[in-house]
Amino acid sequence: MDFPFIKEAISQLFSKSSCAMYPAVPSEAAPGYRGRIVYHPELCIACGMCERVCSGNAISRSVEHLEDGRDKITLTFNLGSCTFCATCADFCTKHAIEFTGDYHMVATKEEDLLVRGSFIKAAPKKKAPAAAKPENCSAQVQTEASGVKPREDGKPVNDQSRCVYCTLCAKKCPAEALTVDRTAKTWTLDEDKCVSCGTCAQVCPKNCIIMG
Amino acid sequence: MTVILEALRYLGYVLVFPGFLFCFLAGMLLCGIDRKLVAKMQKRVGPPILQPFYDFFKLCGKETIVPAAAERISFMLAPLLGLAALVVIQLFIPVFSFTAFYGMADIIVILYLLLIPAISIIMGGAASGSPYAGVGLSREMVTIISCELPLVLVLLAVAKTVGSAMGTGLCFSLSDIAEYQEINGSLITRISMLPAAAAMLLVIPGETGSHPFDTAEAETEICEGLLAEYSGAALGVFKLSHAVKMLTLSSLFAALFLGGLGTGILVLDALLLFLLCAGITAVSISLVHAVTARLKIEQIFKFYWTVVSLPALLSLVLAWYGL
Amino acid sequence: MFKKLIEESTGRSPWLFHINAGSCNGCDIELVSVLTPRYDAERLGFKLAGSPRHADIVVVTGPVTKQSLPRVLRTISQVPEPRCIVTMGSCPQSGNVFRGSYSVAGPLSKYVPVDVDVAGCAPKPEAVIDGLALAAKILKEKRGRMK
Repeated sequence: MDFPFIKEAISQLFSKSSCAMYPAVPSEAAPGYRGRIVYHPELCIACGMCERVCSGNAISRSVEHLEDGRDKITLTFNLGSCTFCATCADFCTKHAIEFTGDYHMVATKEEDLLVRGSFIKAAPKKKAPAAAKPENCSAQVQTEASGVKPREDGKPVNDQSRCVYCTLCAKKCPAEALTVDRTAKTWTLDEDKCVSCGTCAQVCPKNCIIMG
Repeated sequence: MTVILEALRYLGYVLVFPGFLFCFLAGMLLCGIDRKLVAKMQKRVGPPILQPFYDFFKLCGKETIVPAAAERISFMLAPLLGLAALVVIQLFIPVFSFTAFYGMADIIVILYLLLIPAISIIMGGAASGSPYAGVGLSREMVTIISCELPLVLVLLAVAKTVGSAMGTGLCFSLSDIAEYQEINGSLITRISMLPAAAAMLLVIPGETGSHPFDTAEAETEICEGLLAEYSGAALGVFKLSHAVKMLTLSSLFAALFLGGLGTGILVLDALLLFLLCAGITAVSISLVHAVTARLKIEQIFKFYWTVVSLPALLSLVLAWYGL
Repeated sequence: MFKKLIEESTGRSPWLFHINAGSCNGCDIELVSVLTPRYDAERLGFKLAGSPRHADIVVVTGPVTKQSLPRVLRTISQVPEPRCIVTMGSCPQSGNVFRGSYSVAGPLSKYVPVDVDVAGCAPKPEAVIDGLALAAKILKEKRGRMK
């Protein structure tokens, strides 16, 4: 039986403690810490991607039809159900979801843990405007903006007037046949690789991919 | 008239000094100092010194639940019995030259009275009807048996040293031991008494059931053991008993080994005794607490009957040969 | 005066009891880290109690599984009044990623009134200290309302 820490204990008795005196001395979260969500409704396009990828079912969307034909869309983030994985922020093409370093998420009632934001969106137009056609599209399958018709060979077609270039179809494509460039706003199908499985049409949040 | 005054004087001893009030204040402060020191040694800030008072008053304000399986009367009586026994011990321990109750053989009385707090906690635990308390009480019994042997050896060594100097063989009176030290200086200055003092310092944490020897109240493995079913004021009294026990044992150490330092003025003596107690607690309870992890019950037994008993025995043998 | 003293002490000496109701262990580690030398909740009077009978604040982590629900309720009912229930992390508040599982009975607020929610997955130790300090304040108010 030996006491190896006696020297250590006695020397600590006369030295400064290593405590972070938290409530008295405020402390910042480490860089990259994912704390309270801040939602920027003015950037949101209500694609619903965040809601889909949320593992904790923390995000809910409600649509209120206003009298002037527009929609008031409200997104609610329940921090009491959030895992703070930031997948929603990763998937948000418009960067409308931001994770801040604020960790003071203490509440006595559930209402205090909800982050809400709403914006008013014009009702979807009956006829979508023509999409800008990129210059070099020789190897690309460019679909026409209006009046997209399903292809006869059973491969997918993208309605680019509605596409938000969220890249989910490219991520989910089992054959890696799709290439989507967010910045150049291009949607490219490699016909040789495509197996016509229809996964891209299933996962598309805007339902703008049509299978043949 | 004198009888009434005498009675009032003794009532004052029992209730104020060195009885209940002194035990309460000094014991709680000692407990607070101990917690602060342990925290400091572990590089923490630690609770405020007054934390044991907060704990005690909070527990007084809590609901006291008596379990359905418990034996109500002994369950509620046990904490009071333990506290009362400790206050009685404090009355027998001299504050340097001042003794509340003089006794011919008060060391023997103290030895028996020291068992009562342990027995009361065993009684309370057994009455609570909890299986955790059942495990705890068997461990508490082993702890008592472990501590008892070195404690008796230490007391015998001191009694023999003082007794042979006074020519009475064995001296079992603490007041006589205090008086002897007034004249001849503290016993700790004698080389033959050093092993006994060291053994006594290790007996104190075992007797109080503080950290490495707290297997009976291990909160992480058996839910505080004997105290598992106690709540509210009854638990508060047990916490108070624990604090008073620290005071009792450290002042017993001071009376046995550090006598003869008194000034003769009672208030100063009391203050000095408290400071000495704080020092003894710092070494024997806080330091040991800070540097060790909880022992197993058979390790406690082995430790006390070998590592602690041997120096005490050495002291006794040295004292026997008049060294 | 004595009542005032008790009320004041109640806010300064909250003892915790921790129940793991099917937690992934993340929150449990964070709770323990609050008691380490780095954060040392003992300087605010917090102490981890070994038995629910000694506790003032019950900290529940985990989504409250069907197996643990009766035990959680029984443990909470053993805590003497005044008591305060704190849910730690997202799981006991909503079920979090375990929501909808066949074995999850939560959220906890369906069964007992919850006083403080500490959100986060897992919450930072500072957030836990915030939550416990709030719980201690509520505890003091509850004690003030008693008797």
